[in-house]
Amino acid sequence: MQVNKKYIKKNKTIDSIYKYFFMAMAILASSFIVLLVLFVFTKGISPFLSGYEYGQVNFFDFLFGLTYRQDKGIYGVGFIIINTFISAFAALIISFPISVLTALFIVKIAPKNLSKVMQTIVELLASIPSIVYGVFAGGVITGIVKDLALLFGVSTAGGSSLLAVVILLAIMIFPTITSLSISAIQAVDKDLEQASLALGATKTQTNFKIVLIAAKSGIFAGAILGIGRAFGEATAVAMVAGNKLFGPTFNPFDITRTLTTTMLAGLKETSGLDYDIRFSVGLVLMVVIFVSNYILNLVKKKVGNM
Amino acid sequence: METSFIVKDLDLFYGDKQALKKINMELYKNKVTAFIGPSGCGKSTFLRCLNRMNDLIEGCKIVGTIEKDGVNIYSSKTDIVDLRTKVGMVFQKPNPFPMSIFDNVAYGPRCQGLKDKKHLEEIVTKALKQAALYEEVKDRLNESALGLSGGQQQRLCIARCIAMEPEVILMDEPTSALDPIATAKIEELIEELKNDYTIIIVTHSMQQASRISDYTAFFLLGEVVEFDNTKLVFSTPKDKRTEDYITGRFG
Repeated sequence: MQVNKKYIKKNKTIDSIYKYFFMAMAILASSFIVLLVLFVFTKGISPFLSGYEYGQVNFFDFLFGLTYRQDKGIYGVGFIIINTFISAFAALIISFPISVLTALFIVKIAPKNLSKVMQTIVELLASIPSIVYGVFAGGVITGIVKDLALLFGVSTAGGSSLLAVVILLAIMIFPTITSLSISAIQAVDKDLEQASLALGATKTQTNFKIVLIAAKSGIFAGAILGIGRAFGEATAVAMVAGNKLFGPTFNPFDITRTLTTTMLAGLKETSGLDYDIRFSVGLVLMVVIFVSNYILNLVKKKVGNM
Repeated sequence: METSFIVKDLDLFYGDKQALKKINMELYKNKVTAFIGPSGCGKSTFLRCLNRMNDLIEGCKIVGTIEKDGVNIYSSKTDIVDLRTKVGMVFQKPNPFPMSIFDNVAYGPRCQGLKDKKHLEEIVTKALKQAALYEEVKDRLNESALGLSGGQQQRLCIARCIAMEPEVILMDEPTSALDPIATAKIEELIEELKNDYTIIIVTHSMQQASRISDYTAFFLLGEVVEFDNTKLVFSTPKDKRTEDYITGRFG
């Protein structure tokens, strides 16, 4: 074939133009993250610096404090960090087994039609806005918690409680973990299942001993995303948490306060230190999520290599 | 000669498509029987009838009988799990489980409820020795099986299979994913194993069939064209189509 040299040169130019175009897009996208972190960091760190206009805050009192009272100007988030960990991990503990077993049912056990319907339902659940979950929690979950508390002879703040937060978060992270588990289970090599069945294993044995083991890395990734959502959810949680002023909260029927609800509560009606300190709380939240993701990833690596 | 399977008038359908037509065959105990034929001729499908792996395929229908020890394995009385513990299978692609070498071999016995650690160790050691893998892996039984080479993985799959002490081992092109050296090792192993097991092997390689098998069945378009002593099939084929295939005129 006769090669047109001009045409080749033109193609090369287009190649390099596109290369820079894509690079520009990537830089633009990543610069948002850098800007965001930078902004939150500078705003969040400012109350701890000397010369802060509303009076410098002691960093250690802030980080380890067990009381958070705007009215008295006491800002301690130590107990809030603990509360956040408690509610997120409790939600994960409840939601994880349910999600994984649901995914296993959808992929391996349910008849085709039912499996399709259920998968659609899970996807729908994932797309429901958190404010709707919040309304549901405020109207239904708190009622259940209130009745349950009465059974134990405990009174609650109208049902707003740690337990309500945990149940709400468990429901909210269920679709995330389930969809990732579905993908992970679908990706398991059919050869492995066949090998197991050919060795005289039953279907149940194959599902638990081979399919789930082979899919564990993907399932774990689902758990990490799920707990990320549990840490970060603000709107819905704020509607049932009750925003306790001190803590930490270990009693499931007591009200609680998480990092997100602290940032959200009354954000628009405040100014000065009370406004700026929310950026500090946001900074703490980012560190909390970063650290727990890092730890879970280490665990995942260890689990995945077995 | 004792028979392991007696196949009578076996038809198999995938939906409307007939994949196996009127198969009649007797498979002998403690012999190596090879199934040869071009791709899509039904040899693997037939192999999978013998441990009912075709049950897993939707729309697969089987007519006719396969008798093992005088009982039709397709009768409602047959327990599939029981059948599969007696008729083991090795697949085309080495498919070790993502767990340790020890756990791979112990998987089958554990699924049957065996928990005693000492007994399991005995079984695993014996099976690995029989599969000629023990010397290579004895120091790393607790390491992941996925770290083994392809040939080692396939011998591990054979060890996993014989840990169940089956009567029959079905092999579905066990060497097609392996290099010549690993292939030679597996062929040697098959030679050894036939003293204790009935081996039925599907192979793409006619040389392999003539090297290792006692009996050979030639499949074409879902039918058994010829089934006889391997020497006879390769030296004096009765059917013109067999002759054409083994002399390389098609396939």
